[in-house]
Order: sequence, then structure tokens, then C-alpha cells
Amino acid sequence: MSNLPLLELRGVGKSYGANTVLQRFDLSVRAGEIVSLIGPSGSGKTTALRCMNFLEAYDQGEVWIDGQLLGYSGPGRRPTDQDSAAIIAEVRRPLAMVFQQFNLWPHMTVLENVMAPLLLGKRLNRTDARSLAEAALQRVGLAAKIGAYPARLSGGQQQRVGIARALAVKPRLMLLDEPTSALDPELVEEVLQVIRGLASDGMTMVMVTHEMSFAAQISSQVVFMEAGQIVETGAPATMFQAPATDRLRQFLKPWFNRSLTPRQEMCQ
Amino acid sequence: MNHLPDFGHALLVTLGISFSGAALGLLLGFTLNALRLAVPGFIAVYRLYVWLVRGTPFLAQLLLIYFGLPVLGVTLDAIEASILALCLYSAAYFAELLRSAWASVPIGQLEAAQVHGLSGIQTFWHIQTPQALAFALPLLGNQVILTIKESAVASIITVPELTMTAGQIVSNTFSYVVPYVLLVLSYWLLTLLVGFAAAALGRRATRYLRG
Amino acid sequence: MDDFGVRFALYWPALLDGALTTLWLCLAGMLLGFVLGVLIYLLGSSRSRGCVAFARVYVSFFRGTPMLAQLLLLFYLPAGLGMDVPALVAAGLALALNTGAYQSQILRSGFAAIPAGQLEAAAVFSIGRWRTLLHIQLPQVVRLTLPALISELIDVIKVSAVVSVISITDLMRVSQQLVSQTYRPLEVYLVAALFYLALTSLLALLGRQLERRWQARS
Repeated sequence: MSNLPLLELRGVGKSYGANTVLQRFDLSVRAGEIVSLIGPSGSGKTTALRCMNFLEAYDQGEVWIDGQLLGYSGPGRRPTDQDSAAIIAEVRRPLAMVFQQFNLWPHMTVLENVMAPLLLGKRLNRTDARSLAEAALQRVGLAAKIGAYPARLSGGQQQRVGIARALAVKPRLMLLDEPTSALDPELVEEVLQVIRGLASDGMTMVMVTHEMSFAAQISSQVVFMEAGQIVETGAPATMFQAPATDRLRQFLKPWFNRSLTPRQEMCQ
Repeated sequence: MNHLPDFGHALLVTLGISFSGAALGLLLGFTLNALRLAVPGFIAVYRLYVWLVRGTPFLAQLLLIYFGLPVLGVTLDAIEASILALCLYSAAYFAELLRSAWASVPIGQLEAAQVHGLSGIQTFWHIQTPQALAFALPLLGNQVILTIKESAVASIITVPELTMTAGQIVSNTFSYVVPYVLLVLSYWLLTLLVGFAAAALGRRATRYLRG
Repeated sequence: MDDFGVRFALYWPALLDGALTTLWLCLAGMLLGFVLGVLIYLLGSSRSRGCVAFARVYVSFFRGTPMLAQLLLLFYLPAGLGMDVPALVAAGLALALNTGAYQSQILRSGFAAIPAGQLEAAAVFSIGRWRTLLHIQLPQVVRLTLPALISELIDVIKVSAVVSVISITDLMRVSQQLVSQTYRPLEVYLVAALFYLALTSLLALLGRQLERRWQARS
């Protein structure tokens, strides 16, 4: 397999008027890698994630997906320099996303929710879409719920549907925006379990999360952000057990006494 | 009481012009909304239209269409003019109603559609439209009721609907009370029925929200 | 088009007269409707089931039937019973009864917004129920619901166009008379429509200004 990065961000920045929420963001993700973005609220980690599939239009730097520049064709970064929606959709095709608030479509059944991107986005025929959708739902353990409406499911189940929806399109990279933050504590583990499974299957992921031990377990790289900039980045072993900067040390204080074992078996 | 068949016919005319006007108005309102979203600059036309229709009495609009259009070479009979007037009138209200209904779909769902490769049109049709319509059903029913009430004004240009027919019966029989009482009761019954139907349909269509 | 200036000079005073009639009639209907609205609200929130039922039926009837039909019923019914009611009175009454139903609902949300604690305080200091209503509740309710009431006034003005049917020389009737004099329906009705538009737009502007002022205060 080529070792060129699947996703690459160079000097990416984003401002709202005079307020700069993200600057000088660099990241390189190769196939099979798992990157966790951590940091306090307002650190810009969600903005960075949303720039990766152009949910937010970055106005500085470059985002490359599989060798293609995302969102712009030339050097300009003004709103008028943006590519058309169709081109952006094409470039971001290898990516899929799981949302903090699940963002399921409530008027569709679980199966229809997972099938919709296949039928409408990828334009597959109904039989193919259905079998892919059912396989994805099987993968997250919700094969029994295909006829149910989201309102009938628990938060953990809804998020697993969200993961199935992202899986069904067979993405090369998955973006996860705080996938367990909106869940009641007892439902968090079932979702983390599914994500763990994806990681062991080799799915490339970029994840914003507050679950530190989980991030320590599965990530190949951790990025710590504060006030819109990367403060420190590295392997989880170094980051969590021997933080280089004071700010990271401050941030990790609540977790310092627990052991944060880095990803081992998965590194091969 | 031997005027009952006339009343029956009048009821059909009222229902006919009201429902035609409302149905066409809903289509027009939907189209205006879609254009407002799709065509830049159309929003000015949209706002102007809504302002004109909602700022003037329906009677004035009807008279303008029935008596004023012939001056421009377009002659419509009373029923055609009434349906057109009801259509244009209700469209402005439908458009505003639909506008807020479409906006009520949470933006997160639209983002999910966007990142999963659904085009703008697909998102509009498959994600926003079903939910907006289900949510708006009782309000749409309310607008149909308002259209039925406005249809009474068509009696002024001698459309043989309920109000005009009641007036005719009054002048034929010199009985004032019974025809007009029957008139208001008929409208009341109509609006109650439409109201119940719309509420029931709305509850059924939004069943998915209650799990 | 030069003659238009001449004709407009002819239309203007007559239409202005009609507009003033419309305005007076609507304001009178609105004020009477306010009193009725308060009464209907009180009936609707009373402990007597009969009163509540009456209020519900009243509101359902006046909101569920066309203004024109209500007007005809109110105008011709007394004639059928031998009484003679002047058209203006019938029209004002019909408008009042109609808007009273809508206002009762508008005022209801205003009343509900006043914390129950205020009424308890009034009771503790032996302020009677009517005094409480007049001096404590109503001033606040009106302030809270004024934008919605102005919206209702706009609706009353639009709906009042049908009083032309019983020969009241409101704005609509005047324009109909002008059309029969000048045989220029397009022109006359357009100008009449613009008169209504000006009236409703000014009121809408007033409503928005008031809303902004109240929001700035809170």
C-alpha cells in the first residue's frame, strides 16, 4: 500500500471576523493511523475536524485528501474562491463522519438512515444498498433494530446507527466528533467498544474526544490543542506519561494518577 | 326547506373554489419557497409578493382580478377569478408557513446529509421536505380553513357559493333568520371538520417523533 | 398618463374619507373587542364549567366562520325580529364580536405570563379581584401583548373591507363608487389597495418599533 498520507493539513486556519479560532494547524494521517485531538473547550479541535471535510470553510492553508486539494482550486481563500458543491462532494468522498448529536434522520427507519447515503449519495441500486446497510448494522450489533425509528432507540444505539451509516459507504477515513459526549455514562462503553472494533479492523480515524484513557488505548498519535493552536503532539506513550509542556501537564492532571497504557498490540 | 338542493349545490361550489384555490396556492407557495432557496435575488420578489398580498384585503385583490384584469385584456369569469384570487392569496401565507417549517429541521441533519454525499436537492427532497410537511400539517389545515372563510367574499362578485345563495334565499322567502343561521352553521361545521382532519393527519405523520 | 394626475386629485379626498371611516370603525371595533376579549378570557378561565364551555364555543364560532357571514347575520337578524339596526352599529358590533374572540386568545398568553405570586400579594393586601384585574394585571398584559394586538388590528382593517356589502362608505365602498363613476377599475382598485397597504404597513412598522423598545427594556 502506498504510504502517502490519506489526509494532510498544512497551515490550516479559520477566523470569524476578527476572532481566529484555528491557526497553523498541521497534520498528516496515513492509512491505518488513528489520531486523537484533545484539549479544553474552545481549543479549536472541533473546528479543525470540521475543516477536514469542509463542513467549515478554512480560510488559510491547505487540506489534501488522497492527493487532491479540498475546497479550493487555486491560491485564493475567499468565499468566492471556493469550489462548487459537486466538486467538494467528490473530493471528500473517501471520508465519512460520526457526529456528537448523532444527526440521524428521524423520519426514516434505522435501515433507511444507513441506506440513504448509498442510494442518494453514491446512487447504488436498492439491493446493493440494502445488503451493504445490513452488513454495517450487523457490524455494530444492531441487526435486530433495522425497522425501528430513531426515537425508539437509546442514545448509545442511535450513535451506533450513526457509525453504521458512516461505515456503509466504505470510507477510507472516518472523522469522529466527540462521539460519546452526548451519551449518558452507562451508554458510553457500548459505543467505545464498536470504535475499538473498527480500530482493530484497521480503519483510519481522526477523533475529537474527552475520553482520555480510550484515546491513550487506541491512538497512534495524539494532538493537544489550546486556543486554536497545536501545543504538543506525539505518540500517546510520551504524551500521556511524560508530557513535554506545562499546559498539557495541567490539562492531564485529573488523569495523571491513572495509568494511561498506550496502544501496543495495534501498532504492528 | 325546498331550497335545500340549492344549498347543497352552493356548498359544492364553496368547497370547489376553496379547495382548488388552496391546492393551487399550496403549490405556488411551495414553488415560491423553492425559488427563494435556489435562485439568488429571488428573495426580493418573494418578500414583495408576501408584503402586497398580506397587506391588502382579500376583497380588494378579488375586485382587482375580476374587474381590473379585463382592462389588460385578460377576462375571467367569476369562478375563475375567485379561484385565482384565492390561489394568489393563500400562496403568500403558505409560503411563509412552509418557510418556517423547512427552517425547523435541525441543521445537524443537513450537515449529516452534506458529508454523506447527498446533493442540495436530495437533502431538500428526502430530509427536509418529509419532516417539514409532517410538522406543518395542522398549520396547513388552518390555512385551508382561512381559505374557506375568504371564499365567502366571492359572493360579492356573484359566485353561486354558500353566502350568495343564502342571500338569494332570503330575498326569495323574506325569511331572514333561518337562511343566515344555516349559513354560519354550515361554515362552522366545515371548518371544524377540516380542523380535526388536519390535526389527526398531523399526529399520524409525526408518529416517528414519539417512537 | 397626464390625466392620471387630474383623476388622482379626484380620487384622493373621497378615498381619504373612506379610509378614515375604515379607521374609525376598526378602532371602535378593536376597543370594544378588547373589552369582550377580556370578558371571554375571564369566562374561559372561570371555575364554572358552563362558563368555560360558553367561552370555547364563542371562540370556535367567531374564528370558524367568515366575517361576511357574521356581518350578514348580525345585520339582518334584527330586521327579521322587527328591529331596525343602523348599518354602522351592526358593522361595529360584528367586528367587535369577531376580534373579541381572537383577542381573548392573545390576552390569554399575556395573563399567563404574569407570575402567580403577584396575584397572591394582591390577595394578601385585600385588593379585590376587579381592582387586581384593572390595576395589576391589565396594564402588564397590554404591555406584553401590544405587538400581537397591533397585528390583530391590521387583520381587523383587512377584514373590514366586507362591510361595504351593507352600504357603509368605507374605503372599499368608496372605491367601488369611484369605479362606477370613472369606469377605470384597474386604476381605482390599485390606488385603493395602496391605501390599505400604506395603512397596514405603517401599523406593522409601529408594531416592530414597540417590540424593539420592549425588548431593549427587558
